[in-house]
Amino acid sequence: MFEYAFMQNAFIVALLISIVCPLIGMFLVLRRYSMIGDALSHASLAGVAVGLLFDWNPVLSAFGLTSFFGILIEVLRRRFRRYAELILVIILSLSVGIAITIISAGLVHTNVESFLFGSILTVSTGDVYSVVALSVISLAVIARLYPQLVMLTFDEDGAQIAGVRSKLINYIFAVLVAATISVSIRIVGILVISSLIALPVATALQLRKGFRRTLIYSVVFSFIDILSGLLLSYYIDAAPGGVTALTSVAMLLLVIAYKECVFSLQEKRRRP
Amino acid sequence: MIDLQHVYFAYEHGQYLLEDVNMTIRDGDYISVVGENGSGKSTLIKLILGLLSPSWGSISNTYRHRAYVPQRFETLNSQFPITVWEVLNCYRQVLHLKHKEIIRDCLEQMNVYSLKDQLIGNLSGGQCQKVLIARALMGHPDLLIFDEPSTGIDVRSQEELYPFIKDLNENKGVTVITVEHNLKFAVRNSTKMFHVVGGRGHFCSPKAYLDEYVSARWEGISNV
Repeated sequence: MFEYAFMQNAFIVALLISIVCPLIGMFLVLRRYSMIGDALSHASLAGVAVGLLFDWNPVLSAFGLTSFFGILIEVLRRRFRRYAELILVIILSLSVGIAITIISAGLVHTNVESFLFGSILTVSTGDVYSVVALSVISLAVIARLYPQLVMLTFDEDGAQIAGVRSKLINYIFAVLVAATISVSIRIVGILVISSLIALPVATALQLRKGFRRTLIYSVVFSFIDILSGLLLSYYIDAAPGGVTALTSVAMLLLVIAYKECVFSLQEKRRRP
Repeated sequence: MIDLQHVYFAYEHGQYLLEDVNMTIRDGDYISVVGENGSGKSTLIKLILGLLSPSWGSISNTYRHRAYVPQRFETLNSQFPITVWEVLNCYRQVLHLKHKEIIRDCLEQMNVYSLKDQLIGNLSGGQCQKVLIARALMGHPDLLIFDEPSTGIDVRSQEELYPFIKDLNENKGVTVITVEHNLKFAVRNSTKMFHVVGGRGHFCSPKAYLDEYVSARWEGISNV
């Protein structure tokens, strides 16, 4: 299977996604921003459509436009605090509106379906380079801002008083979310990126560990989810996005079931 | 020194929550901010800390090392996956403190070093409060602000906590401000009380506040 170049490309991209997605997902989930991830992943379709229209690399054009929408959400959320959900709907309508208009007008002569559902076959070497570059930059930024991000997530007021520049870091974080989504588009597809961002984190949270260990477990679960999704999709000839979403849910259920079993066993032992 | 001059505050063009508040806090003061629920005490603290900007008026704060101990149950998500050590270590890194020993020192000072590997959500109210104070002490603050330090903690922990705050104030020269519901500790410890009523505030001595409070309660009982 790995003798094929497209499978090697897919594997490299999957490996990077399995690291970047849960790292960003951890902060998104704990800040209760999962819906922003969902809105931005749909917004990335506009970036893909614009990229295809002007014959640019769709991963990079998705990154550019999703970053713009991410920063716009952050600006509007600060101005209209009471209407946070409404802002997501507005951004979603604007971005998906742009995408559907470009695609349905027949201005794009590429199969957009692969961007929606994900595909192993379409990961080009150019895509691999852009995914590697975006992932490495994202990982470096997360490593640099790690204590600030953890503090902002845990106690925003305390972080601000300690001198964390929350406004700036939130804007940087919006760009990081955009980068994560852009690198994931090719393999998992726009429709299920948010599940890849949130589900491995939700699975790791079941284990009730500290922040760093939860982060490590999220990466491990994410790696298993994506790899098994990729392999299964290869053998059953289905889009990897859907299969990966299913393996992520299966993993979550498995961990919950394991936790319940351990808990009931402990309860039994405790009984006199 | 902290100086508030004619401060007005309203959330998003709503009604003024604070009106014409004037307040001067000097080095070494121990101020208890008291008042009914919703009177604007916590908003006042957020203004002092710079988390909110006044709609009108001016605030100057010359303290460079400020620390804030929030109400445990108000701020913290008990499901948040973070250990005591991680909370303090991130704070250390944000403050650019080089040596990790300071984490151990501050936890030991509060007698909670043994809890370093515990998840913050698994701690009792008193333990959590001590951990948050240990975190606040890491930056060697010259201004320490507490939001209802006795909320959610048992009587024994309260009896340990207040002498410790008092000691920081009297012997280490830390200026202390507490938003206070617990009248006993407020009157016993503070050098001055700041009473917030109907969006306005005034300073009074603990004894004067007690007299005012008791006579208001007595009036209420007499009217019944």
